[in-house]
Amino acid sequence: MTNLNKSRAEQIQSSLAKRYRAEKRFQMYGYAAIAFGLLCVVILFTDIVSKGYKAFGQTYIQLEVTYDASTLGITDVNDSQQLALADFHGIVKKALKSRFTDVSGRKAKRDLYGLISNGAGYTLRDRLVANPELLNQTETLWLVADDDIDTYYKSIGSDAGAFTGRMSEQRQGWVDQLVESNDVEMRVNRNFFTQGDSREPELAGIRGAAMGSLFTLIITLALSFPIGVAAAVYLEEFAPCNRWTDLIEVNINNLAAVPSIIFGLLGLAIFINFFHVPRSVPVVGGLVLTLMTLPTIIISSRAAIKAVPPSIREAAIGVGASPMQVVLHHVLPLAMPGMLTGAIIGMAQALGETAPLLMIGMVAFIVDVPGGFTDPATVLPVQIFLWADSPERAFVEKTSAAIMVLLAFLILMNTLAVILRKRLERRWL
Amino acid sequence: MNKMVTDIAVEMPTGLVQPEQENIDGIEYPKQTIGTPLLESSKMSMRNVDVFYGDKQAIFNVNVDIGQHEVIAMIGPSGCGKSTFIRSINRMNDTVESCKVTGQLTLDGEDIYSTKMDPVALRARVGMVFQKPNPFPKSIYDNVAYGPRLHGLASRRAELDEIVETSLTRAGLWAEVKDRLDQPGTGLSGGQQQRLCIARAIAISPEVILMDEPCSALDPIATAKIEELIAELSQNYTIAIVTHSMQQAARVSHRTAYFHLGRLVEVNETEKVFTAPEHQLTEAYITGRFG
Repeated sequence: MTNLNKSRAEQIQSSLAKRYRAEKRFQMYGYAAIAFGLLCVVILFTDIVSKGYKAFGQTYIQLEVTYDASTLGITDVNDSQQLALADFHGIVKKALKSRFTDVSGRKAKRDLYGLISNGAGYTLRDRLVANPELLNQTETLWLVADDDIDTYYKSIGSDAGAFTGRMSEQRQGWVDQLVESNDVEMRVNRNFFTQGDSREPELAGIRGAAMGSLFTLIITLALSFPIGVAAAVYLEEFAPCNRWTDLIEVNINNLAAVPSIIFGLLGLAIFINFFHVPRSVPVVGGLVLTLMTLPTIIISSRAAIKAVPPSIREAAIGVGASPMQVVLHHVLPLAMPGMLTGAIIGMAQALGETAPLLMIGMVAFIVDVPGGFTDPATVLPVQIFLWADSPERAFVEKTSAAIMVLLAFLILMNTLAVILRKRLERRWL
Repeated sequence: MNKMVTDIAVEMPTGLVQPEQENIDGIEYPKQTIGTPLLESSKMSMRNVDVFYGDKQAIFNVNVDIGQHEVIAMIGPSGCGKSTFIRSINRMNDTVESCKVTGQLTLDGEDIYSTKMDPVALRARVGMVFQKPNPFPKSIYDNVAYGPRLHGLASRRAELDEIVETSLTRAGLWAEVKDRLDQPGTGLSGGQQQRLCIARAIAISPEVILMDEPCSALDPIATAKIEELIAELSQNYTIAIVTHSMQQAARVSHRTAYFHLGRLVEVNETEKVFTAPEHQLTEAYITGRFG
C-alpha cells in the first residue's frame, strides 16, 4: 500500500515536471511572438527613418544675386501687376552665369540653370516685395537647390556612392566647385512643413495633406462619435429585443467587415452624385469615413456599455433615476473610456484609409494648403501613395518622411486617447 | 404591531386545522396561504400576484399585506421567487423585458402597476437595497446626495449637507466617514458600502425600504451592524427583507413569509413561524431538511 502511494506521488511529481515544462514552452512561444513583433516594428521604423530623415534637410546654394530692374522687366516695385510678370528666374540665371562664366552651349546652359530650383524665383520676389530698396542692389543669398542636386549632394559619401542619375559630369563638377567654396549647405527643409504638394520635390510639402487629414478627421469624429454612441446606447439600453433589432445588429457587424472601397463607391454615388457635395473636399471625405468608422464605434461602444456592471444601473433605478438619467449619469461616464478607445481605433483606421478617398476625388494633385472644410484637399496616406508613384528620386525620401508624419499623427492621437482615458477612468467594485 | 385579520378579501384558514391542499409536481401546497398574510390596515397590499418570465411562471397567486412600520422577512429555498416578488413591489422588474406582473399591488391604496403610477416616483417612495453593495463610483457624499439631487429635495447646499449627514447618521456610518466624504464610496469596506447603500436609500425618505439579501455578501460583524440598523430603521420605515438566513429573519423581523417554488406557503408572526410552523413545508425548511 505504501509502495503504491509512493509511486503515485512519484507519478504526480513526474507529471508536474512535464506540466511545468509545457508551461515554460508556452511562455517561450509568447516571448517569441512578442519579440518577433517588436523586431518587425524596429525594422520598419529603422527603414522608414533611415530613408526619410534626409527629407527634413534641404540643400541650399549660395549665390550673389542682383535685383536688376532691366532683367526683371519692372520699373515700379510697388506695382503688383508688374511684379507678377517680372522674370525673377532671369536674375537667378544671371547670377549662375556670372558664377560659372565658362559655360557655353544651349544644353550646358540649361543644365546650369537647373542647379537652382524653380521656386527660388518666388523667394526673390517675396524678398523684393518686403524690401523695395533692394531694387538694382546686389546681395548674397542662400537659394533652394534643384532636387537632382539635392539628391546628389545628400548621397555624396554614402556607402553606395554618390547617386549620379540625371547628373552629368559637368554638373557634378559645378557642385564640387560650389562645395569647395563652401557655397553649398544643408538646411532644415522648411518647405516640407509649410507647403502643399508640388511637382518639384524640393518644393513639395506635407502641410497640405496634413491639414486635409486634420479637417477630414474632424468631420469624421464630429459625426461618427455622437452618432455611434447614440446608436450604441439605443441598441443596448432602450431597443426592444425583436427581429428588427437583431437584423440591425447583424447588419452593423457585417458592415464592419465591408471592404472600405465600397464605402468610397457609396459616397460617390450618394454624397457626390445625388446630394452634389463638391468632390475632393474634406467634408465628403469625412462623410465617407464616417460611414466606414461607424460600425467600429458602435460595436466597441456597445461592448463598453455592456461592461458597465448591472448593479450600478439597478442602484440608480432603485433611488428613482429615470432611464435617461441612468444612462447619462452612470452608464455613459463609466463606458466613456471604452467608447473613446473604440473611437480612436476607428479614427486611426480612418486616418490611414486611402481606397475610399480615391473614389471621391481626394487623390487629386492639390498645391494649395486647404484652409477649411470645403477646400479641395488630399490626405496623408493618399499623399504617400502619390509620392511613392512619382518618378523623381527625391520623392523616395519624401515618401518615407510623409510616412513618419503619418505615424507621428497616429502616435499623437493615441497618446491623446490614453490621456483622456486615464482621466475619465473610474474604478468600481 | 398590526392587527391580523382573518376574514377579509381572502378566506383564511383558522386554527391548526389542516387547510385544503393541492398537489403540484408531487409537493403538497396549501390552496391558500396559511397563517396571517393579511392585515386590517396595511402600508402595501398584494393580491393575486402572478409573475411571469416569458412563458415561465415564477410567482403563483401571492396574497400578502405589509403593515406600516413593520419588518417582514421573506425566506425560502433558492429560486423560490422571493427576490422576484420583492422586485415587483417597486417595479424593478420593469427593466427585465420578458417579465410580466399581474394581480393587484397597492401602496397606500394606490395601484402600483396602474398607468397613472410613475415608476420613478414609485421608487422614490419604495427604496431598495441590493444583495451586493453597489455604491456608485463617486464620492461618499455624492452617493448619498444623488437621490435628493435627482428628486430636487434640497434647494441649497446646506440642506443637502444636512440630508447627507442625517442619512449617514441613521445608517450608522457618519462617525466612520465624516472626515472623508469626498473619497470614493467604492473604497469602503463591504459592510460600510452596504450601509452607504442604505444611507443612499433613506436619503430620499422613502416610505418603504426593500432589502434583497442585504447581508449575504457581508461578514458576521458587518451583518450584525446592518441588523441593528434594520431594527432602528423599523421605527420610521416599513421594511421588507429577503434573506437566506433564518436566524437573521428571526432576529430582525416581526412577521415572516415562507415562499416555496413561487408559492407563498405561510405567513405568520416570526416567533410562531420558527417555533410552531403550521405547514409541513415551512417546518421542513426551518428544521433544515432542505434549502
